[in-house]
Amino acid sequence: MMADRRRVNGPPSGTRPAVFTADLQLGASATDRAQRQRQPSELRKIFLKTGLIPTASGSSYLEFEPSASLAAARANPKSLIPPSSALKLACTVHGPKPLPRSAAFSPNIVLTTHVKYAPFAARQRKGHIRDSGERDLGVHLETALRGAIIAERWPKSGLDITVTILEAEDDRWWGSAPDSHDASWGMMNVLAGCITAASAAIADAHIDCLDLIAGGVAALVADESGNSAAGTTKLMLDTDPAEHRSILSACVVGYMPARDEITELWLKGDSSKASLEEGDDRSGHDALIDGAVDAARGAHTVLAEAVRESLLRIVGQS
Amino acid sequence: MSNQRQASSASQVPHLSPAELSYLYTSLSLPKTPIRPDGRSPTQFRPLTAETNILPGTNGSARIGFADGTQAIVGVKAEVEKTILSNETLASERGAGPEPTDQEGSTTAAVGGHGSWVQMSIEIPGFRDDDALPVFLSEMMRESLVGAVGTDENSDMTGGLKGRLVINKRWHWRLYIDVLLLSQPLAYPLPLLSLTTHLALLSTKLPKLKSQGEEDPFFDDDWAVAEYLYPRSSPSTGAKISSSSSRPSFVRPPVTLLVISVGENIIFDPNREEIAVADAVLAISITRDTQAGHLRLLSIRTVDPPSRLTQPGVPNSENVNMLGAVAPTDDIAVLNPVTGEEEVPGVWRPRRGGAKRSVISEMVKTVLKKGGVGEEVLEGLEGVEVS
Repeated sequence: MMADRRRVNGPPSGTRPAVFTADLQLGASATDRAQRQRQPSELRKIFLKTGLIPTASGSSYLEFEPSASLAAARANPKSLIPPSSALKLACTVHGPKPLPRSAAFSPNIVLTTHVKYAPFAARQRKGHIRDSGERDLGVHLETALRGAIIAERWPKSGLDITVTILEAEDDRWWGSAPDSHDASWGMMNVLAGCITAASAAIADAHIDCLDLIAGGVAALVADESGNSAAGTTKLMLDTDPAEHRSILSACVVGYMPARDEITELWLKGDSSKASLEEGDDRSGHDALIDGAVDAARGAHTVLAEAVRESLLRIVGQS
Repeated sequence: MSNQRQASSASQVPHLSPAELSYLYTSLSLPKTPIRPDGRSPTQFRPLTAETNILPGTNGSARIGFADGTQAIVGVKAEVEKTILSNETLASERGAGPEPTDQEGSTTAAVGGHGSWVQMSIEIPGFRDDDALPVFLSEMMRESLVGAVGTDENSDMTGGLKGRLVINKRWHWRLYIDVLLLSQPLAYPLPLLSLTTHLALLSTKLPKLKSQGEEDPFFDDDWAVAEYLYPRSSPSTGAKISSSSSRPSFVRPPVTLLVISVGENIIFDPNREEIAVADAVLAISITRDTQAGHLRLLSIRTVDPPSRLTQPGVPNSENVNMLGAVAPTDDIAVLNPVTGEEEVPGVWRPRRGGAKRSVISEMVKTVLKKGGVGEEVLEGLEGVEVS
């Protein structure tokens, strides 16, 4: 073996930074974990603005209100690591545009959705090529939007919808190890944001839809306030995964309030063991879907207001 | 190319004329008694042949063939891999430094598995790896597989499949599930692939661990004493596992069922023609973890119904060629109570919008209810002899 004797090389595999016990007692304690300050049925504030990207036929930018702990940490930083993150994403719509000459005839609009995390969006760096999770989000978004767009009004045309996620939600609090209930919960919030933003962008591009479609998230969260082993589960709307120790089950819907219809439903996790509050005899999944629909109704009010603003702006320009 | 692009999460765009679609829809949406093209009852599955352990080079494998000629093979391979420890587990280790071996069982249970330890790849002829359909299918099946969390405290499966993959704090199994569809995807391949994966996981064996605790893993090289990944409880194999776990476990790999709604009817395991006219398509993953037969819902996903991509039919009153040949009162648009759309009876309109909440809730209930389709499917799969 050719050992390099002239240099002192680093170890071949990576190293991890030293963690000192003193820091651990200070830093990674339960008190530092972000706590939910909102009521169970209270949503985060949403910032939604359309028409920010002039080259696209329709565009929108969406941002969730940072949680109270994140806002406090930004004002008065104690650690370099932010306690949680808030969703920020931009959506562009290109089209309707003619399909390429080589494409087969299509009686409906051909919808293409593309969801991409920016490399710096999450705590773990994302590559430039879409991974399976991002492709999966794209398919979910497409399912949600295809139900809302009136596709037969644009035969032989294509519509490209691109969502860039600038800051993603965490899947769990950054300090806690993945446990048995671990899953990519942050992706569900991202999808809800994508649906709402894409709907605003489509409206900004003046494409006919059945209704403005809004995304909403609800989750069944194990409550850890009491010491009882059984623990009660609570239904929370618009959950920030960083604020909860264990999420049992979560659901995201794409919902059209005018028709009371769901075009996209994605529920995961085990909701059967969940015991809801007294007097609530819905099964876990029904409660989740209803909760997510309520969250979507909340997002819809913001969406309608954003679309109205964009219309007023256009009227003002002309 | 364009056909490929349109084939999103649903299978290809159906090549049926509006008249055929309308005929299918009408017969499938007959109240209470839908007539399916192949004469099945609404909850009946297509007949299939199944065999397990067909690939000697894998830890577990299965093949399922439907009568229409579609076949799938699944191979499961397992590898031992070093666990990357997070700072928190390192810290807790240091805190409990003096007596690291005091609570062997509880510490291994506390270290949960990680979802990325299960890798799934699906190969479908005519599709690239990164096309929407294979990606969507593999994420759907992996998510329910990884998401299943056992509630049975005394069995090996407390942490679900992820927990089962933990060997000790520093080592774990990595599971590769490779799904191969041998034929063209004639129907939406989800039911076939899910059932085959279920059988392959049932037949998967891992070598028996000889080392104990936090030692580097060392396995028995006698394949005959290997343990099932999902401990079996049937009498033929019960004796084998009785030494490893205190009592038989009833945890089973999840199954994903494809359910469609047409009109007011709920139809299972649709073939290609039936899914082409569906109002709503759901993929529902279920599993069972206790002997009592209590089913648990693991995930629900909507699948984009291909009926949205179809071509509309033209009613006679709007058809220029029929001008004057029909009285204007001949076809009057009526309101379809299920979809809330105005349509002329017998003239196909592509579906718009989504599904009502009541419909979704009814579909889930049909799967989960006692003596319902979910139980029937799991019982049927239990009957397949795993050699």
